[in-house]
Amino acid sequence: MKSTPYYWPAWILLGLVGLTSLLFGAGTLELRQAFAVLAGQGTEEARFIVLELRLPRLAIGLVTGLALGVAGALLQTLTRNPLAEPGLLGVSAGSAFAVSLAILAGASTATLTTLVSQAGALAGCGLVILATRIQGVGQDPVRLVLAGATLSALLMSLTSLIMLIDQRAADEIRFWITGSIAGKNWEQLTTTLPTLVISGFIVIAVAKPLASLALGERVARGLGHRPGLVQLGVVIAVALLTGSATALAGPLMFVGLVVPFVARALGGADIRKTLWLCLPLGPAMIIAADTLSRLLVAPSEMPLGVITALLGAPVLLVIIRTRRIPTL
Amino acid sequence: MRILQTDFSFRHLLGSLAFMVAMTASLAHADTREIATAYGPVSINGTPERVVTLYEGALDAAIATGVKPVGAVITRGGTGVAEYIQEKAGNVEIVGAPGEINIEAVVGQNPDLILASSRLTEEQYALLSRIAPTIVPDFPTLSPETWKKETRLFSLALGREEAGTNIIDTVEERTLEVAALVEKHLGDTSTNTAVIRWMPQGPVVMSEDLFSSGLLAATGFEVNAADIVKEGRPHSHPLSQENLGMIDHPWIFLATLNADGDEALAAARKSHAFQRLQANRNDRIITVNGQLWSSASGPLAALQILDDIADAMKSRSSATQ
Amino acid sequence: MSTTPARTYWHLQAQQRQFSLLIEKRALIVNLLLAALLVFCSLASLAFGTLTIPLSGLMQTLLGNGSGMHDFVVTELRWPRLLAGGLTGAALALAGCLMQTLARNRLATPGIIGIDNAATAFAVASVVGTGISIAPPAMALTGAAIATALAFGLSGATGTRGYRFIIAGLAIGAISGAITQVMLSSVALDDANAAYPWTVGSLNARTDGSVQALAAGLALGYPLALALKRALVTLQLPEPVTISLGIHPGRVRLAGLVLSILLTGLAVAVAGPIGLVALLAPEMARTLSRPGTVPLTAAALTGAILMVISDLAGRLILAPLEIPVGIVTALAGSPYLLWILLRKSSDINQ
Repeated sequence: MKSTPYYWPAWILLGLVGLTSLLFGAGTLELRQAFAVLAGQGTEEARFIVLELRLPRLAIGLVTGLALGVAGALLQTLTRNPLAEPGLLGVSAGSAFAVSLAILAGASTATLTTLVSQAGALAGCGLVILATRIQGVGQDPVRLVLAGATLSALLMSLTSLIMLIDQRAADEIRFWITGSIAGKNWEQLTTTLPTLVISGFIVIAVAKPLASLALGERVARGLGHRPGLVQLGVVIAVALLTGSATALAGPLMFVGLVVPFVARALGGADIRKTLWLCLPLGPAMIIAADTLSRLLVAPSEMPLGVITALLGAPVLLVIIRTRRIPTL
Repeated sequence: MRILQTDFSFRHLLGSLAFMVAMTASLAHADTREIATAYGPVSINGTPERVVTLYEGALDAAIATGVKPVGAVITRGGTGVAEYIQEKAGNVEIVGAPGEINIEAVVGQNPDLILASSRLTEEQYALLSRIAPTIVPDFPTLSPETWKKETRLFSLALGREEAGTNIIDTVEERTLEVAALVEKHLGDTSTNTAVIRWMPQGPVVMSEDLFSSGLLAATGFEVNAADIVKEGRPHSHPLSQENLGMIDHPWIFLATLNADGDEALAAARKSHAFQRLQANRNDRIITVNGQLWSSASGPLAALQILDDIADAMKSRSSATQ
Repeated sequence: MSTTPARTYWHLQAQQRQFSLLIEKRALIVNLLLAALLVFCSLASLAFGTLTIPLSGLMQTLLGNGSGMHDFVVTELRWPRLLAGGLTGAALALAGCLMQTLARNRLATPGIIGIDNAATAFAVASVVGTGISIAPPAMALTGAAIATALAFGLSGATGTRGYRFIIAGLAIGAISGAITQVMLSSVALDDANAAYPWTVGSLNARTDGSVQALAAGLALGYPLALALKRALVTLQLPEPVTISLGIHPGRVRLAGLVLSILLTGLAVAVAGPIGLVALLAPEMARTLSRPGTVPLTAAALTGAILMVISDLAGRLILAPLEIPVGIVTALAGSPYLLWILLRKSSDINQ
């Protein structure tokens, strides 16, 4: 199923983006020095910047991008809606709200567990699926997206309220909510790994039945799949993936929209091809956005969520320009 | 008899004249005074009794000169007045936040004097000045000398000029003491330092012109925010971890909003970048209260900050020797 | 045989006249009731706050012989705020009602299609001192106009059904929101605090100038909207019918759109993005009015009522601290919007 001509170029693209992210940053480190580190030499400070600051960011970008890209592709196939995206539908907002509640209750973002974030994502995901079950909403992509956007707005105003009531929480939430993968270390990455592995297995298990489900529930049943079980699997996978990504990077909009869109444009509508292409493309988008966030306002950094919104929203415009929305 | 009487009345006259002169003088001096503010001269009669402070520096100056305000705004990053002054302020009524003054609540306190910050807008002044004489300082916001000028101004408005002068003298004496202590304990380490906050993304560097930075400078430190906090960004600015070298000074003052500074320090120490700071390796990270160090101002805040510096010098020098 | 069409026509006209009279009557009653409710809410807004003014004190102040303290609180603090809130709500509701009608979509309101966010981004640019010294109202208007032009331009002509238009607006709103974030994150903390009301919608950051501009805009826009009303009603009919009635749908849409942008931009300049009022108020007004009408006046009154109540709630709940009115409307309004969206057999297209 990898047989699309774009599959390997996509990995090469990811490689190039990753290399760039190691070589360029907000610091005054010279390019020559960064190269030296990659060649196994370099000064102690250069090694620190490249290997201990930029490399973990690269790794976290990899994981976040992978999770959001795959979650978006799954959700879009399940709801048959090319606009269904964890960020737009309120799954990320659910996750963010849960984290805000945890911060209000006394947790600190530094010591926060992934679990809270995933629980919030699961709740958000459940609401989305409930909404698609309502007559008329599942068939109407715009209504689903608007319902999601409204849910996001509701949760975001609740978060604003929390920030208003508790100023200490506000301080922590403000820095987290705009999205960033700076300052994370391997430890935080490893806390999300078990759930990522679990969702990986789920994705492998549901990819084929999901592809036949795209042909209609009756066809899927005829092929011996159980649509209810497949849907449940997808919901859990999306929640685990989005929850992990949000715990690592804060709520990021549009990544789950842009990546599967590009993947489908390159590889066609089959979910398995889309998923294979999302593997390199998701990380490439996050890592490119993160590199930009470091370069634009050096010596400071820009919030990552702002960059993904600025990159992603125009793609949304392109989608509605070039496609008839209600088909997938 | 006549002479005596004349003498007496003459004396009497002289006496009452002297009394009247003294009275007029004291009236002009203490009972009606004209105060220059950002929005023109304001005249105040007598000793105000119901004072509302809309600025942390004003609350501090009022309490330092012996006046307990009836209303005050919350501190930035808190839900009441700043911790360091809570006890002295007692059950002062909250009348809003620094950026969002609740004028109704000010009216509710029925004040006879309002002390505000130089950031008060003209629209707000127009309303507040109708409730009570409103003092808006006209000094540059971020300058190490500003708090002294403000304290003099506020104490004059409160009719406690002498107390104001005294407390400023006390702070200056204490500054010299602490400066001597710093010189003694700093030894041959460089005097460079920075005041930062540590977020998971990296450091937020406080301006060199901040109130607490000014006191550090007065005690002999060289506060070096490495030009990160640019003009037009007066308070603080985030810095990328890659540029940590710009603030890798021998001493770092770490402002925290958590009640427990050790907890915040432990959280920051999880970061590999933070671990590399020479101040961290040499145990010269000094955790300080963020409310006090990043948003307070005034003589009492100054004394508290100076105490923090002195404590740090005593504990750290013994630790490193 | 040849007289029958004429008779029917005459008859139909007579029926229509009767019909339209009925509408007028119901609309009149609804508007009077809403006006009474607005007066009641306004009185409550004048009486309650951090300080409570007893009814007798309020009456004396309104009659011109109240005590100094009551006078000050009512006339200097609460009345200007009430005015700003009421005007903002009315303007947003009118703008929403116009846009819903001309896009033939109940969700096509300034907040949803990103006009609010764009206007806010432009207004914030002038507040945080990016070197732009144009007054916030002018900036907000520019932002509103650009966003609307983009939303319509990118989604095809003005006549298209709501789908693309709304999604385009969503994207524009997201971009504007991100730009606002960038501007706020790159300025000083204190300035960012000053600009905070702009990101959530608050009546605290208003200037007298922007309220006056809004009042002037409403004084101009409301009669114009009423003048457009008949043409707007026919827009709900199929296009050939509209054209056969001698109305140019394109011109009517353009006029309605311009009015809508004007009112939204001026309202945002006063209070920031308070989007859901523009959706909820016309929605409520429609349930009160007869189907098939464009209840402009009822929507404006409802919008004013919503804003006045929300602002009062925001001032009371956490007193002496204040919840920005935009958060109150979002919290109260979004469940209602969700209900509209998820209700079975609901049709968002009119």
